[in-house]
Amino acid sequence: MIRLLKIELKKLINNKTFWILLGLYAIILALVFWSIQTFVNDIVKETGKTVPIPVTKISLYTFPDIWHNLTFISGYLKLILAIVVIIFITNEYSYRTLRQNIITGLSRLDFLLSKLLMVSVIALGATLFLYLNGLVLGILNTTELTFSLVFQKNIFLFAYFLELFAFMTLAMMIGMFVKRSGLAIGILLLYYYIIEPFLSYKLPYDIGDYLPLQAVANLIDVPNTSMMKIVGLNFREYISVSDTLVTIAYTCLFSYFMFLILRKRDL
Amino acid sequence: MSEVILSIENLSKHYGRIKAVDQLSLEITKGSIYGILGPNGSGKTTLLGIVLDVINPKSGTFKWFGELPNKNERKRIGAILETPNFYPYLSAVKNLQIIADIKGVPYDEIKRVLETVELTSRKNSTFRTFSLGMKQRLAIAAALLGNPEVLILDEPTNGLDPQGIAEIRNIILAIAKKGITIILASHLLDEVQKICTHFTVLKQGKKLYSGKVDEILNESVLLEISGPDLDTINKALNEFDKVLNVEKEGDLLIVKLADNSTSSELNNFLATKNVAVSHLALRKKSLEKYFLELLAESND
Repeated sequence: MIRLLKIELKKLINNKTFWILLGLYAIILALVFWSIQTFVNDIVKETGKTVPIPVTKISLYTFPDIWHNLTFISGYLKLILAIVVIIFITNEYSYRTLRQNIITGLSRLDFLLSKLLMVSVIALGATLFLYLNGLVLGILNTTELTFSLVFQKNIFLFAYFLELFAFMTLAMMIGMFVKRSGLAIGILLLYYYIIEPFLSYKLPYDIGDYLPLQAVANLIDVPNTSMMKIVGLNFREYISVSDTLVTIAYTCLFSYFMFLILRKRDL
Repeated sequence: MSEVILSIENLSKHYGRIKAVDQLSLEITKGSIYGILGPNGSGKTTLLGIVLDVINPKSGTFKWFGELPNKNERKRIGAILETPNFYPYLSAVKNLQIIADIKGVPYDEIKRVLETVELTSRKNSTFRTFSLGMKQRLAIAAALLGNPEVLILDEPTNGLDPQGIAEIRNIILAIAKKGITIILASHLLDEVQKICTHFTVLKQGKKLYSGKVDEILNESVLLEISGPDLDTINKALNEFDKVLNVEKEGDLLIVKLADNSTSSELNNFLATKNVAVSHLALRKKSLEKYFLELLAESND
């Protein structure tokens, strides 16, 4: 296993595109993390001017809610990571190195495993990045700091990892199916922005919740804020077990499809 | 009886209605240099792709080293299929390191194989800066990692200039001397004739002929004879009972001798007849002629 990971890392470490995209992800995410508070404050100020009800200042960065807040927001940026995955999978087709790897002695299962390992490393890295940013922001912004507060609601971090892993697996499957990076990215975006929202609108509510992207997005629902509570909205503050299971099921399904694709096709 | 390295039984591969490989069977023994000949589109690359597990056959079986194909057997084989495939943004060394990792081979091998193909000076340049000849040589270097018992080369001299072709030929011969079995797919008959010990001719996926190179070359030895008076020589030749056939070709007379006769015998005969001869040489039948005859026959 380690050997497979080593091989994958070697392929990617020297790839400029890989680092540029990851760097972009990190920079944008960090900017969002650190500035979202001011953004929300501005909204509150504006609403405060027009609404007679006193709206309390919302702090996003206090433990333990910060974990929920940050993971929710980062969910929007998982597309960048998905694009990275698509690129490194379609490269193996366009350079014909997948074929060469198999000839050299890698089995098709090994190839799939090494790619999945790489995806988990990326998801892990992103989660770690979020954790570190969260720690700092939380420490700076929580008035009564206790250890238990820091580690409460850490379950959101696991959900975040799962969300990223599942989404990247979907992207990888599309990439493997289509073999060309432009087309794969196009299909992913199309599905993400148009097809699934449309499907979930058309299907009865219960079934719509089980569509892949919905399940993944539902892992981490919109975090509650006091403002929303006033209006009467109450989103989930916990991670639902059924969503988790559905996400895991989809991940396994996508992986199985990829295995079938690899086995059946001529390279 | 030599060990059989690769045995193929009734292998077929269809692309729609096109039969790329059609019920092909053959056996390759250890230590031979086996040429797979055929015009473009005859199924050479497809055949190699199947035995290397990158193309799925429609029917038929094959065995490497007597075992059904799996990734471990593949590690004993070094292969280049069609074009050299490497990561263009990585250097030669890094590419070879990845291959070494897959094969489970230590990195010190890399220096050795780079020297064999004379690419040591360019080992840190990225693959995309290589000329075609260098790419082919890197592909051979990669195939040599881990001391494979079998080397499969698919048109290794494709696109090379004469110097490149000669270099590759020498590298192959040097490798063959070490007892490594080599399977060479080519449509360059000249090269096959110079290097191979056995060969198979493919056409439209079917095996037309299989045998030893020596047998073909020794099959009919022709003599080229020339002299000041061709007609006299011709008459004299026809009186020699061991002469099977005489043909005129420009300034030369091409003579086919019976198997139990030698050129010196003919020379002596002509001398006794007082016929002067200025040129007497052996002409080995070329693989090319044989190949073209074979293809022409199969067209009928």
